[in-house]
Amino acid sequence: MSFDIVFDFELLVDLDIGEDTDDMFDDLFEKYGKVVYKKNDQKSVRAEIDDDAESLSFAVSVAKVANEVKAGDIKVLFVKPLVYWTRFFIITTAFSRPQVDAIGTRIRDMAEKQHGKIASGDLKPNSWTLLDFGDVVVHIFLPQQRAFYNLEEFYANAKSIELPFENQQFRG
Amino acid sequence: MIQPQTYLNVADNSGARELMCIRIIGASNRRYAHIGDVIVAVIKEAVPNMPLERSEVVRAVIVRTCKELKRDNGMIIRYDDNAAVVIDQEGNPKGTRIFGAIARELRQLNFTKIVSLAPEVL
Repeated sequence: MSFDIVFDFELLVDLDIGEDTDDMFDDLFEKYGKVVYKKNDQKSVRAEIDDDAESLSFAVSVAKVANEVKAGDIKVLFVKPLVYWTRFFIITTAFSRPQVDAIGTRIRDMAEKQHGKIASGDLKPNSWTLLDFGDVVVHIFLPQQRAFYNLEEFYANAKSIELPFENQQFRG
Repeated sequence: MIQPQTYLNVADNSGARELMCIRIIGASNRRYAHIGDVIVAVIKEAVPNMPLERSEVVRAVIVRTCKELKRDNGMIIRYDDNAAVVIDQEGNPKGTRIFGAIARELRQLNFTKIVSLAPEVL
């Protein structure tokens, strides 16, 4: 849980003391100690866990779809503790551009039909195709690009999620 | 506020060190580029023995500007330098890592690849 220190301006107005603010702050400090307020717009721990679980199930279903189209070396990383802007990374390898296209299209279709999510990111197959679903970001690399950018090493501290299916390793 | 002839630092490990903006991509006759805009630039200074060389013409995305960036919530972000990341025609970064803090607006502008390589996102 995180807290933000918010100064209570209303209290100032109520007391209506203008001449010696330092003394007033000292009094307030003695009376209340270190005043810490919680931000109102923050979600409860429970809601946060629910959101994580929802994203996790979506991430795993995306990984399953990728596995169906024979994507290699699928990794699901829980990056929420490292970056604030997303929860899960899915890193996978495709072995040709048509396969990149196939994986991307399948994932988009599944996300739209079953979860009602629409991806932003690359529309055309690319050597590094990225699908951004907000909480889940999918990276589809060609083998050369995967080795070049080496995202797994950059996010080495992220927790890797176990996948329910047999993960196909690199084909020779 | 990046315009043609502006010198920018390079915020990645692509091998270029300094760029000069020569054109802003987007509308014609656009005067200034801001964070998230793509520019055409020429490499003015490069690291030796790297794939990119001096006087090469490249595309780059602006990631930091001295001119302040205003958000709808009233937050204002201003950096110490003007910096850009070199990209190729497909939009993939030419370097493998980004240096320094970048703004989250880049994600909305479909530069999530740059955001995912950055160490810090403001």
